[in-house]
Amino acid sequence: MKYTEKQVNVPLCATSTTSGLVNKTGTWKFAEPHFVDRISPCNQQCPAGEDITGYMYLAGQGKFEEAWRLIMEENPFPAVMGRVCFHTCEEQCNRKDHDEAVSIHTVECFIGDYALSHGLKTTVTQPEKDKKVAIVGAGPGGMSTAYHLKRMGYIVTIFDSNQSPGGIMRYGIPSYRLPNTILDGEISRLYDIGIAFKMGVRVGTDITWDSLESQFDAVFIAIGVYEETNLGIESINTKGIFNALEFLHEINLDKNPKIGKKIVVIGGGNSAMDCARSSRRLGAEVTIVYRRTEAEMPAHGEEIKMAREEGVQFLFLATPKTISGNEHITGIKLEKMALGDVDDSGRRRPLPTGETFDIDCDGMIIAIGEATHVADLPPFIPQKRGVVSTDQMGHTDHSKIFAGGDIIDIPHTVTHAIGSGKRAAIAIDRFLGKNKGDEQSLDQYRWGEKGNISAGRIQGTTQFLRRNPTSEVIDYTGINAFYFDHRPRMKNNRIAVEERLKGFQEVIESPSQEEAVSEAQRCFNCGSCTECGNCYIFCPDNAIKVDPDGYGYIVDMDYCKGCGICVNECPRGAMKMEFME
Amino acid sequence: MRKVLTGNVAVAYGAMLSDVQIVAAYPITPQTTIIEELANMQADGRADFDYIRVESEHSAMAACIGASMGGARAFTATCGQGLFLMHEMLHYATGARTPVVLANVNRAAAAPWSIWSDQTDSVSQRETGWIQLYCEGNQEVLDTTIMAFKIAESLRLPAMVVLDAFFLSHTSEPIDIPDKEKVRGFLPPFDPGELWLNPDNPKTFGGITMNTDYMEFRWQIQRDMEKAKDVITSVHQEFASVFGRNYYQVEGYKIDDADVVMAVSGTAASTGRDAIDSLREKGGKVGMVKLKTLRPFPREEIIETLKGKKKVAVIDRNFSPGATGIWAQEIRSALYELPEHERPLIYGYIAGLGGRDISVKTIEEVYQKTLRDDRPDDVDMWIGVNYV
Repeated sequence: MKYTEKQVNVPLCATSTTSGLVNKTGTWKFAEPHFVDRISPCNQQCPAGEDITGYMYLAGQGKFEEAWRLIMEENPFPAVMGRVCFHTCEEQCNRKDHDEAVSIHTVECFIGDYALSHGLKTTVTQPEKDKKVAIVGAGPGGMSTAYHLKRMGYIVTIFDSNQSPGGIMRYGIPSYRLPNTILDGEISRLYDIGIAFKMGVRVGTDITWDSLESQFDAVFIAIGVYEETNLGIESINTKGIFNALEFLHEINLDKNPKIGKKIVVIGGGNSAMDCARSSRRLGAEVTIVYRRTEAEMPAHGEEIKMAREEGVQFLFLATPKTISGNEHITGIKLEKMALGDVDDSGRRRPLPTGETFDIDCDGMIIAIGEATHVADLPPFIPQKRGVVSTDQMGHTDHSKIFAGGDIIDIPHTVTHAIGSGKRAAIAIDRFLGKNKGDEQSLDQYRWGEKGNISAGRIQGTTQFLRRNPTSEVIDYTGINAFYFDHRPRMKNNRIAVEERLKGFQEVIESPSQEEAVSEAQRCFNCGSCTECGNCYIFCPDNAIKVDPDGYGYIVDMDYCKGCGICVNECPRGAMKMEFME
Repeated sequence: MRKVLTGNVAVAYGAMLSDVQIVAAYPITPQTTIIEELANMQADGRADFDYIRVESEHSAMAACIGASMGGARAFTATCGQGLFLMHEMLHYATGARTPVVLANVNRAAAAPWSIWSDQTDSVSQRETGWIQLYCEGNQEVLDTTIMAFKIAESLRLPAMVVLDAFFLSHTSEPIDIPDKEKVRGFLPPFDPGELWLNPDNPKTFGGITMNTDYMEFRWQIQRDMEKAKDVITSVHQEFASVFGRNYYQVEGYKIDDADVVMAVSGTAASTGRDAIDSLREKGGKVGMVKLKTLRPFPREEIIETLKGKKKVAVIDRNFSPGATGIWAQEIRSALYELPEHERPLIYGYIAGLGGRDISVKTIEEVYQKTLRDDRPDDVDMWIGVNYV
């Protein structure tokens, strides 16, 4: 028989119909890959405890409603936040080590505006309870607490001495930064879910603290603080001198205060910028006098920049000594200062030089914001230099009373107030419910060890699945940067300076949908699985499988050889290897 | 249709006309313009295949094997170091019986770095079970690419089309481009039979196989390589009947009355024709065989062609350190079974490594030395080396 005509009893290629799955290659491994949810530094940083990585992912996919609902798990004011929060999250953004931080606030602003323009409504998530909670103060802290408690089913009543709710957001922030329509739009949702607002009611005067305490099961106080205007100088009672918060309050009431033509603003913080920029809009020449230099100014850099664009002058290393003018201010005697050693705040201390000089003015706004005190507190709640002492969750020593916002020991920002309100809502729920005093169990819902508690994580309602959540915060070295191109941060458009000075029109233009999506897509989504599929594609053993029960992937340990390629190729550090026993 | 094309573009035309379905490749000089042209063809709609960008030649071949197991006609191209990196997967393609077609542009091995022509890369893959088809000119490159699919698919063995770097890859010649419908008539779509990853009938191929069966699988490869000799010849003949161009595994040129026969492959064959003509004019009784197939090696045709010749001078643009040039080895081995009176003396020459020219003068020098020496004076003789 010819060679080529011979046959053998096997097919051309070894063929099995039982599949290679009988060979459990997973027995070979000494290390296992696991999906983990690490915490992004922005999430840890956010004082309101928002799931930034989560909503960036959703917004990047054009799922704006889902993104909005994810923010709303933590914070009822996305459109306000996108505008007024000084976004320290962006300072922590891992992307800054790659090219530039993601413009988180811009995306948040877009999402907030999207919800307003589409009339999206929030919902109560839990059945109604028979417990009643009183909230004193309709500012960011009080409304945040009210919102979260209402969603949990509590009967919530807010008391506030002002005619309209909003607190500092309405009366302290000029409308060129936060238009009233935006604020009203977001607050109206709180009315819609059935929170009772008792406006024009000053607790302690119109209604007693005792009656509040007896009628309600818990009381949350967030009445804010007053800034002291005592500069420690003479003639402070001369006409034409304003306190910053009072001044801003009047502007926001459209009272158009007669401030004069030549204004000096004392101070270097954000409220000094607000006063200076508002005064420019009222037609005055404005000089900011600050006792240190620009480098030590606590105001946000963008605020300083925009103030300068609008023609605000800066006079550094000077502090007022005396006021000139008998009935009305006509000028200020300033003392030149010099910088000394670094003080407790980490900034160089201003030292008097004894040398003085005079400047003319016909109005002065004091925006030093240092000493504060709380007015109208109930007598049984002691305060120490404007601070009410509470535990981490906002519970005072007085069993029924909780506190938040600027009156407790947190930074005085809207976002911190909102975050403190959420914590207090969680604490009140536990106080009135079954989990009383079990605070440590809340740590598992925290964004990292230092972050705020996530209400979404407690409720299990985060739309962005977080599997095996850890408190481990991921830094840039945990990102596989090869998967991310370099793309500059989106720039916010501002209206022209001439337009700005005509009135109180919003300065920063809202981003377009395309811009917001594009910017959201710059987010690494640090530490969270976005179902990118890299692990699934790269696994040489087909041991990564799509989770049949829902989101993401699972590792089939029967076949995983522990090579670690999946962990290495995860762009965003949502996997880890663990050596086995 | 006639066009002036480089060898690399001719390869791309060959693959495109063959309705290739998957191209997985990694760029490497001097192969790159093949896959660039294919990418162009895909981009502008002249070809309809999926182009898989891979991170290495090893992956390119792995992807082609996978595609072929999936029932698709798969193609890749590489050269030199890229082919060396593919080596493991070349063996796999054979064992898995995947009829992948690969165009290899002959490039010298590093170190030292060289991008120029040298057959060491492809001859080093002799034992991988790939059919190897060496081409003389750009028309042959295009035609052989089409034929390679037909040969490979009918045998379920992978096939390599081999062309010289730069002498063909980057040199333009007028080419007749076959009509696409005619090619479709000649080369029907790939029919994988039962041996493919059919989702409706799941099977695993190439799993662990005990010593009770392994030899039988390998024997079939050898059997089909033997069959390949007939298959290649019949595909050559069918091609000639459809397209009017003839190709041979062993092609004689003016050998009937020749005492000395030069054995050459690749572009050296076209130079060889000129050299033979020139030597004939001077009265030399000299001819040439052009060698197209290294694997399967056409032992019987070589015996038949060279039987009774006095001397055979083999010019190898490659060598096996510690042995000889590969074509010389093969021919010497094939002719050994001839009785002594019919068995020619084999003179093995090494020339043209790393892209050095094999000119008419080189071939004349080889001829003169072969004619002059009664016996080869060394195991192989290196032409044009600058000794000091």
